[in-house]
Amino acid sequence: MSDEPVMATNDDASECKRGAVQLGYWQDNYIPYFVRQIEKRAPEINRGYYARVKGVERFIKTFLKKAGSSSQIVNLGAGFDTLYWRLKDQGVYMSNYVEIDFPTVTARKCYAIKRNKQLLERIHEQDGEVKLSATDLHAGNYHCIGADLRNISQLEMKLQQAEVSFANPTLFIAECVLVYIENDCVNRLLGWIASKFKSALFVNYEMCNMNDTFGDVMLGNLRARGCTLAGISFCKNLETQKSRFISNNWQGAKAWDMVQIYYDLPAAERQRIEKIEFLDEQELLIQLFQHYCICVGWLGTEFADISCNGGD
Amino acid sequence: MNSEVKENCVMSQENVDAGERLKSEANEYFKKQNYNAAIELYSKAIEANPTVAIYYGNRSFAYLKTECFGYALADASKAIELDKSYVKGFYRRAAAHMSLGKFKEALKDYEYVTKVRPNDKDAKTKYTECNKIVKKLAFEKAISVEDTKKNIASTINLDAMTIENEYTGPELEDGKVTLQFMKELMELYKNQGKLHRKYAYKILLDVKAYFMKQPSLIDVEIGSENKFTVCGDIHGQFYDLMNIFSLNGLPSETNPYLFNGDFVDRGSFSVECIFTLFGFKLLFPDYFFMSRGNHESATMNQMYGFDGEVKAKYTAQMAELFTEVYNWLPLAHCLNKRVLVMHGGLFTRDDVTLGEIGKIDRNRQPPEDGPMCELLWSDPQPQNGRAPSKRGVGCQFGPDVTKKFLELNKLDYIIRSHEVKNNGYEVAHDGKCITVFSAPNYCDTMGNQGAFITLKGKDMEPKFTTYEAVAHPNVKPMAYAHSLLSLMC
Repeated sequence: MSDEPVMATNDDASECKRGAVQLGYWQDNYIPYFVRQIEKRAPEINRGYYARVKGVERFIKTFLKKAGSSSQIVNLGAGFDTLYWRLKDQGVYMSNYVEIDFPTVTARKCYAIKRNKQLLERIHEQDGEVKLSATDLHAGNYHCIGADLRNISQLEMKLQQAEVSFANPTLFIAECVLVYIENDCVNRLLGWIASKFKSALFVNYEMCNMNDTFGDVMLGNLRARGCTLAGISFCKNLETQKSRFISNNWQGAKAWDMVQIYYDLPAAERQRIEKIEFLDEQELLIQLFQHYCICVGWLGTEFADISCNGGD
Repeated sequence: MNSEVKENCVMSQENVDAGERLKSEANEYFKKQNYNAAIELYSKAIEANPTVAIYYGNRSFAYLKTECFGYALADASKAIELDKSYVKGFYRRAAAHMSLGKFKEALKDYEYVTKVRPNDKDAKTKYTECNKIVKKLAFEKAISVEDTKKNIASTINLDAMTIENEYTGPELEDGKVTLQFMKELMELYKNQGKLHRKYAYKILLDVKAYFMKQPSLIDVEIGSENKFTVCGDIHGQFYDLMNIFSLNGLPSETNPYLFNGDFVDRGSFSVECIFTLFGFKLLFPDYFFMSRGNHESATMNQMYGFDGEVKAKYTAQMAELFTEVYNWLPLAHCLNKRVLVMHGGLFTRDDVTLGEIGKIDRNRQPPEDGPMCELLWSDPQPQNGRAPSKRGVGCQFGPDVTKKFLELNKLDYIIRSHEVKNNGYEVAHDGKCITVFSAPNYCDTMGNQGAFITLKGKDMEPKFTTYEAVAHPNVKPMAYAHSLLSLMC
């Protein structure tokens, strides 16, 4: 079974994000360096990605506020995510930032970084050196590493290369990643994190509520593209999403579907983006929102009181 | 297509001769109006000898004939770059600019020609004409209020479009649609072929002329023993449209159909759908009906894929012609004076009559409010009264509104579409407001069934047929920017 289709989901997501950025849904000056401009997507896609990006962002902000400058971020299946550069621009200081994806994907990311001064500059500010291999890049507090999340020993070794500290409060981010991994590998991954990290917050954006016609059709479409959703059983509903953390020794978990997440975003912002593209009807968007969720799990006590309307 | 000019290269006599030969050959094809063949040969001439302005100039002219105005412009510019003394180059560039609507730019080039050739009468004429247009546009812009009505239809020159020998698709017989043509057309489309633009334009021009003569409300008579079928939204789902015909029979004098709007957008085969429907309209004008939906409008088409699809398969000019044609689609149909059919729904006012609907001046983009807007956008609601539409356009109307409207206009019930339904249809307002939606698994995403309504003239009782989606070819993802198959992954 090939991992290619799963890697291709990064292209899809990145292109969609760039399209939405182009239309003004949110600002991201760095994504054009990684992804070419594509034809316009349907308005539902743009709104869906807006909700995803802004929803995850709220939890990132909450985490950074609580964790302060010793914070560490590990972005699993990061693809062409530009969070590091955007946080840098905002003057946010972290002790460490690690991105992990298939080596094929990180190779392309490293290549793009190498070729673009604007990207290199931001990761290379102090006079530290930049260590570059075909698939990995280490520069100051930024690390992009190629690894297979199903291989825990490889992952552990690579994280050590990235100077990850198990003592620092750590944010794990995963956007539609775990669903492509077999259950026992996911359990091992989450269990391993729980055994090593003292204080952590895991933010997982993924499908949910899949046990209906819409879910069936979505699964069929994704399978037709070669994406076998090995971890789909955890996406049955919000409870199963949370159970994934609890059963792997995480202290606690909460989950919200994207309807809740979207409508908790500031009203002024929602009104702004709703004017960008007129939606002729709401059915499709509501269905999309109901079938995706953000689930958070935590280790330690620092993040136990997290809510989806995080401080701005 | 464009070859790179090798600067300062010395042409071998061989290449020079080859170029001239190819050009002459191309000119012959041009004279016979076989422009595509001419283009090919000019291109070969350019390959042999890329330093000759005339080759680019002639190819530019051939591109103009085939409406490839962008290429025509590029070639004309290249010709000028290679040889500023080649005055025809400026002519060609001006013509390309004119076709692209860039009259100011065209004027500059015409002006240059008149300066360089002060005794050239033709140049002077063209300059004067172009100048008139530029001045006229400036004047119109200064006084314009809204909706300046272009007439693309009058600029289409069918005679200039030639059918290449390689074209194997269906052909109109004497410019007319026949059943044979329609059968061949549907076969062509099932195999993802393309109708020649000459016939595509002809269909659009003829159907526009037909609709222009129709009132905004069409009265349909159904004989007491006769069957009539009403279909809802199709949304570019061509293979599901073919499934409807295989379930319910092809349209004919004895098997009349009404398609209730939203023929295009969202699905990947909108072009195929609309030409099939327009073809049947021309074939059976008194037995095949089409009503305007909210997606038969320019803004919707630009956002939900139809515009992109037409531009990819044909030209921007055709996309504009579609806008003109859609403006003339009737807004509602009244069956046997008992059942009113419209795409959206009813009104914010209580006293709207059939007479008023028939008199709506519809040749325009749907307005943001008023009866024409509401016909295309409104939705029924379960509770009595009215409410602002959740869509932000039109209104929501309750069972009491429907009842009053039917009583006022002596009707039995209304049929409308516009909303996706799990079972393809829904009966609301105590049987007085029926929704029918004919696009199953809408957007490859919703998993809904599609449905159509059949009724007999004598009792006008609706019977529902539901069906699942059928398979369709997977076009290149996001080909026309509307597919939701990308979802969020």
